[in-house]
Amino acid sequence: MLRAIAIGLPLTVLVTILALMIGTVVALPIVAGLRSKNRILWLLSRALVDLLRGVPPVVWLFILYYGVSIGAIRLTALQAGVLGLGVVAAAYLAEIFRGAISSIPKGQWEASSALGFHRATVWSRIIGPQTARAVVPAYTTFAIGLLKDSSIASSIGVAEIVFMSSQYARQSGEGIMVFFVAAGVYILLSVPLGLLSRHLDVKMRKAVAR
Amino acid sequence: MIEPNLRTGKPVVQVRNLAKAYGPHVVLRDVSLSVQEGSVTAMIGPSGAGKSTVLRCMNLLEQPDGGEIEIDGHLIVAGRKPNPKNLAALRRSAGMVFQHFNLFPHMTVLRNVSLPQERVLGCTRDEANEKSMELLKRMGLAEKADQYPSRCSGGQQQRIAIARALALGPRVMLFDEPTSALDPEVGVEVLEVMKELASTGMTMVVVTHEMAFAGNVADELVVMADGGIIEKGEPGQILQDPQHDRTRRFLRAVLER
Repeated sequence: MLRAIAIGLPLTVLVTILALMIGTVVALPIVAGLRSKNRILWLLSRALVDLLRGVPPVVWLFILYYGVSIGAIRLTALQAGVLGLGVVAAAYLAEIFRGAISSIPKGQWEASSALGFHRATVWSRIIGPQTARAVVPAYTTFAIGLLKDSSIASSIGVAEIVFMSSQYARQSGEGIMVFFVAAGVYILLSVPLGLLSRHLDVKMRKAVAR
Repeated sequence: MIEPNLRTGKPVVQVRNLAKAYGPHVVLRDVSLSVQEGSVTAMIGPSGAGKSTVLRCMNLLEQPDGGEIEIDGHLIVAGRKPNPKNLAALRRSAGMVFQHFNLFPHMTVLRNVSLPQERVLGCTRDEANEKSMELLKRMGLAEKADQYPSRCSGGQQQRIAIARALALGPRVMLFDEPTSALDPEVGVEVLEVMKELASTGMTMVVVTHEMAFAGNVADELVVMADGGIIEKGEPGQILQDPQHDRTRRFLRAVLER
């Protein structure tokens, strides 16, 4: 039983980390679009976010796994799982980032302009670092959610914890026990993330409390 | 001929026929103003008169709808897209101090003052830090260099903001109600620094409700109401003998409370 879960564990972690990375990177241009004054860019990114969020992740995975063939290439279950969860994550993260950016007081932009900073400097030195701090709690909450949602990839056959557990349950006839153990493993994975987040948050608040 | 007084020098700031509206709401109509080198101009008037808007138009934090702004020879004409180089040059010539300080909360006091020098003037970190420490000493804040702004009082934060603006070597300093967010006692520290700055010949434009400062330190007083300048001239004269009824009403309200 533990062996089955141990075999699934690396894929759970891998799917989560890769999807989070894809999500974070893809979210950045979407945020730029959401903040754009260009109506067309704004509308496109708005529509993209609503489309990605509006369809259940499991449906995205089915579409990517069964429905997409690029030339002769078909996505493997792992590729489809990571990609699907990644782009859905991008939509949510884009909204999280956008909210964090707009929580930065207007005075920070004004001071930056008045001092004559270039746009790149404003982002890299003023808005970026403050956004990163503001985003920590929501980002880790999302990451913990994603860790658990990575189990959706089991539906297209990615052999992560839930997939391995249900396979074990079917073969051994032991039914429910393995899922309790799986639940425990998820908790063991997510609690340290939460603790780390709170620790970071408190530490940064201490340094720069407004 | 020898210039008898620095304060009759050439204008550093010229604002011509400035106009600005937010939709149907007119905030400025035809404001013209000239600030002589080395002079201190105080702008007073009731809230909503457009004082801060004039100041914020001077360094293009607000886009004027009409008119021209010229600071230290860098001309910006409303309605035309400013050339970025010209805009950067104009902003470098004008140091701005805000009502709410707007220090960068994620940097130490020293970094707050040094970063703009590094990024805008291209100083090395050592050069910038040396200049910053010199300015912080002048503001009486050398011991705060390694603290974060949140650990400083409002008066200290405002003086840090003044140091940050001075570090870029501006030709004129723009103050937007620098003491309005401060307790009166704390505001005094900031006013002292501003007086010292004025005595060194820094050209200053100060939007303020501090009548004593306007009366004692300023060389030129500008009274604004309803989006226009209603009176300007020598502060003592205006405060003693205002010509305009609106000025009289405003002065009564602020002086006789």
